[in-house]
Amino acid sequence: MSSRMRRLTGSVAALTVIGLALSALPAQATKVHSEAGVSTDEIKIGVTIPMSGIAAPGYNKIAPAAQAYLDYVNAHGGVFGRRVMLKVEDDRYSPTLAVSKTNKLILQDKVFAIAGALGTANHLAVLNSVRLGARGIPDLFVNTGYSGFDNPVKYPTTFTYLPSYVMEAKIIGTYLANNYPGKKIGLIYQDDDFGRNAQTGFKTAGTTFVVSKGYASGSQSSPGLAAQVGAMQAAGAEVVVMFGVSSATAVALITAGKMGFKPLKWIIGSVGGDPTTLKALGVPAAILAGSTGASFLPSPTDSTDPYVSFFKGINENYNKGRDTTWDNNALVGMNMAMILVQALRAAGKKPTRNAVVAALIAKGKTFVQAGLVPLGYSKTSHAGYTGYWFGTYDTNGDLKPDGGKYTTFVTDSGSGGVTTSNYKRPALPANGLPTNK
Amino acid sequence: MRERFALNWLRIPSGMRRALLLVLVGWGLLLISDRISEFRVYQGASVATYFVAIVSIVLLTGYSGQVSLGHGALLAIGGYSAALVMQNLHWPFWIAFFAAVFVAALVGALLGVAAARLSGPYLAGTTLAFAVGLPSLANQFSFLGGEQGLPFDIGVAPSRFGENFSPYKWLFWISALFALFAVWLAANLLRGRYGRIWRAVRSDETAAALSGVNVARSKVLAFTVSAGFAGLAGALLCATVSLVTPGGFPLSLSFAILTGAVIGGVRSLVGAVIGAFTLVILPMVADAIAQGASDAVSTNLPAVLTGVLLIATIVISPGGIAESLSHLGRKIALRRQKRI
Repeated sequence: MSSRMRRLTGSVAALTVIGLALSALPAQATKVHSEAGVSTDEIKIGVTIPMSGIAAPGYNKIAPAAQAYLDYVNAHGGVFGRRVMLKVEDDRYSPTLAVSKTNKLILQDKVFAIAGALGTANHLAVLNSVRLGARGIPDLFVNTGYSGFDNPVKYPTTFTYLPSYVMEAKIIGTYLANNYPGKKIGLIYQDDDFGRNAQTGFKTAGTTFVVSKGYASGSQSSPGLAAQVGAMQAAGAEVVVMFGVSSATAVALITAGKMGFKPLKWIIGSVGGDPTTLKALGVPAAILAGSTGASFLPSPTDSTDPYVSFFKGINENYNKGRDTTWDNNALVGMNMAMILVQALRAAGKKPTRNAVVAALIAKGKTFVQAGLVPLGYSKTSHAGYTGYWFGTYDTNGDLKPDGGKYTTFVTDSGSGGVTTSNYKRPALPANGLPTNK
Repeated sequence: MRERFALNWLRIPSGMRRALLLVLVGWGLLLISDRISEFRVYQGASVATYFVAIVSIVLLTGYSGQVSLGHGALLAIGGYSAALVMQNLHWPFWIAFFAAVFVAALVGALLGVAAARLSGPYLAGTTLAFAVGLPSLANQFSFLGGEQGLPFDIGVAPSRFGENFSPYKWLFWISALFALFAVWLAANLLRGRYGRIWRAVRSDETAAALSGVNVARSKVLAFTVSAGFAGLAGALLCATVSLVTPGGFPLSLSFAILTGAVIGGVRSLVGAVIGAFTLVILPMVADAIAQGASDAVSTNLPAVLTGVLLIATIVISPGGIAESLSHLGRKIALRRQKRI
């Protein structure tokens, strides 16, 4: 036997032994455990959200605020004896990272459900790649208004939180037609499905823009939005609708201030309309004052609202986030956590993923929550909130309802009309602790 | 005799044995993928992807002596080519992978023509600029999908693999298969005529030219082949997230690949394996260290760790871990021989 052949047989033998040894190990069972993330004393929920990076300002306060309310509930018995814990992953508003972090949450952290995932492009990528629906993993209270997520056939386990951008655009469009007939209207939008979804709504509402300009997500930091704001100015837009994330809205307002461009009215979409965040990003209250904004939750500065004062108290005592300034983002997070607690309660003492989905479909509409418009959860729709009220930013930059009281408008994501709503939300439960079953 | 046998397996030897070895490695991987958690399988796919990317650097830098700080751009070209082919021509995904290789190699050839005229810092600068500039093209042409990107979905395993065959395992099988194919190709190339030519050019261009080597052509060829590997890595990278976006190819990716190559050993395929594992393990280590630290720390720690490791490697063992290991092996062998 030549030395070469001997070497060959030797190595083949060695590798065969290794291979056989591996074959002898038991193969892992790939059975899906329906109660992943649920132990005797804990329910683990995963969140992907920008905690750093360009889109983080404001949104990075949502998850800590949600955990603050959950900590309060946990201190008072949790959900049938189990504490609810959020596992937060920073996706930096990048679709690529959102996918890998969601995979990590499901595979490594073994969360029971995903909740409050933020960002349209990010979450579209997640649903496309991770296939939450096909795998039966609940995808709760998606924190984006992209109407495509409300699709029980395609995404059976996905439930949205915000009113859809189509709804918002339809309601803003109707508002423009009623309040600014004949005025030249301009639009700045984020150039992805977030912005395109809004354009669909404006089209349905029959709004025509003299000028509309998109910005690429991330381009608000460099090269900035001078081209977009300049186009508004050049076209002589009298009313400008700013439909973008907070960091882009701030840049647009600051750029307009520098350019000396002062339209009759700025209308700021709810996604980028939190005044605390805008001020923190350097928007002077003077520029913000007089602009129109929209929200579905009560104004966070409304001290007469029982939900607001309750959540504000929780924020002071339980919020362990880095920035605990009370604002709309904190309110959004706490309210979401309150709905989450009820969804988990409604799934029973031995919660399963299927039971949570079924509970939201059957009972989600009746859950106690701070919103001034109804939740839309049903068998045929997984849409969260369904409408808005309009307000004006005052000299402090606080959003105050027009006419001194909340007038809410509701609609759908299709071709339905925009109507005023007389929805009465449920009263705040004793101590802010849901008792539903 | 026994020492030479061990040494021969450390350097990958020729022909049949190489192919056989890879088949056995593939068999081993297959068995392993059944016995580890799904998360490890998912990470395994990333290891395979980084491995192909690092092999691309080994070919370019380790063998032909050219530097590229912008390999991320070539990965992006591969990813986008694969996604576009699948979206517009509806070809099966495995053809899309070959399209990625082809298009990236084509761009690599063009880049290589420019690169052959540049050297050292000038080449580094040019490739760096390429990596900075290229991803922003996605926002200029609407068919590239802007910041939101394009889907690149390799789907789930065919039903004959069984109902419990997870999408992660499917991803791993595909990535591992392409990685094995890539390493087979690279090993044959490096042990053959072109490997010798590249090494000759790297050691001394003038001497190589005097012995009849067309230096410029050999450099362009190295760039082309390396770009092809990078294109494959790009398509694999996009497959792990079913998506191609400009944000998926940051400058830090180019640096990470280069770092992986240097840490493992820029002249060795075994080093590429070590480098690929390092790149997947580093963020986990960073996560563990940054537990409870502020966002600013946890966001930047992986980059800091990578940098520290890179500097440490260059100071302690410039040839990378693989070279240190083979030195060690040789020393032990020598000592034994002396004893006999």
